[in-house]
Amino acid sequence: MDLKEEVIKVIAETLEVGKEEVVDGKNLYESIGVDSTEMVEVCVALGKHFDTKIQASEVNKDSTPEDIVRIVKQKKENN
Amino acid sequence: MKEKVAITGLGVVSPCGLKKETFWANLKKEESFIEEIKRFDSKNYPSHIAGQVSQLDYYTHLSKRLTKKIDIFSHMALVSSEEAIVDSKMNLDDIDKERVGVFMGNALGGWLFAETELRDMYIEGRDGISPYMASAWFPAAPQGQITIYYGFKGYSKTTVSDKASSALALWYGAKTIKEKKNDYVLAGGMEAPITPYALLSANCRGDLSKNNSRPQEAYKPYDLYRDGLVLAEGSGTVVLESQNQARKRKAPIYGYIEGIGFSSDGYHYARYRPTPENLEYAIKECLKDAGWQKEDVDYICLDAESTEMGDYLETQALKNVFGEKIKNIALSAPKSMYGNLLGAQTALDLITTLFSMQNCIVLPTINYSMQDPYCDLDYTPNKSVEKEIDKALIISRGRGGINIVLAIEKAE
Repeated sequence: MDLKEEVIKVIAETLEVGKEEVVDGKNLYESIGVDSTEMVEVCVALGKHFDTKIQASEVNKDSTPEDIVRIVKQKKENN
Repeated sequence: MKEKVAITGLGVVSPCGLKKETFWANLKKEESFIEEIKRFDSKNYPSHIAGQVSQLDYYTHLSKRLTKKIDIFSHMALVSSEEAIVDSKMNLDDIDKERVGVFMGNALGGWLFAETELRDMYIEGRDGISPYMASAWFPAAPQGQITIYYGFKGYSKTTVSDKASSALALWYGAKTIKEKKNDYVLAGGMEAPITPYALLSANCRGDLSKNNSRPQEAYKPYDLYRDGLVLAEGSGTVVLESQNQARKRKAPIYGYIEGIGFSSDGYHYARYRPTPENLEYAIKECLKDAGWQKEDVDYICLDAESTEMGDYLETQALKNVFGEKIKNIALSAPKSMYGNLLGAQTALDLITTLFSMQNCIVLPTINYSMQDPYCDLDYTPNKSVEKEIDKALIISRGRGGINIVLAIEKAE
């Protein structure tokens, strides 16, 4: 599984939506109508999954899966 | 002529059934739906019996994505609201959502969600708590969830006044219809007291039945051997709109909210004033507000606190207001079959009363076996009776003496 697939899987499982609903190129508000409290849960879940800390200021409802992949990659490199 | 507030949709989540038809069919069985608490081990609580909702997950129309974010009290309110909306034949695509209000009452808030999340926070630290905690537990959460779910943006409120909470919500909602602030109102209440902390709090009230060995006989208001009420969880929602609008769109009309009477005992933070004049005042004000005479009333749905003081005061207030005429009025407490939903109770009392009007049946007060010399009225013991009901009162009393009486009229 590549990193983008992994990110999408974490988001879909956390929010109980289908993986196919988290669409490439669309931000999370456009694709699955995510709200700000759901984004807090997504940040915590991504942080736990990738063993890092992701802040709500870094990943938010305007982020696309690609944006999130870039941030996770940066975090991993810095670790 | 004054604008009448019509009730055009009903929705029920109760210990004796989800969906209004099941609720009514089960009530006609004249049996108890009280059982030992199943959700958690409650044997160490002085009272560990209750009316509990089952099959909520089976009947729900909500996604897992939503149900994981809300407490059971919001979940029940959303399910009863959906049923009421469908029942009223509101066309959600063809209404002005800026003029749809939501008025829901409860006494306790959403503790099932809060208790587990606070526990996790203390064990795991700040990452252990769900972000949904912020919007799940507080008393206004169900009203908020309903407005978000349907996109309703009209004038809305949550009412919190102990056992009289949904009575207040129904009146407040009806008032906004009368004053033309809303075209439609969803009104009612929801309560979820069957959680470890909420049950503990309720036990501290000291007015719950401890007849744990015989749960089905425990809730016996007005009986000499009563020992308190039995808790229940659930939700009731009704749709309100003006009579003119309801007629114009050919909506089913179940009845009308015709009047309300209020009073407070102004005596103690938890106890009632030991004399009945404040409840009497609320009953008289309600009759005056509805423009009814005492002899117009056919049925009274009772508060039924099932304590010595509560039952005595209610009985005495009725005798003092109606005098000899009380003998011609049917009285009963159908909630004796499924328990007392505290802040949501009046919503279910209203739905029960509307069904009673439609079917010409006065449901009984069950478990009645021995007359209390201080409570000597005919409370329709154990068996239903047939009776035409055109006009009814519903009595609702909150702790510390919050007295609310509603006047309900049958549809033509």
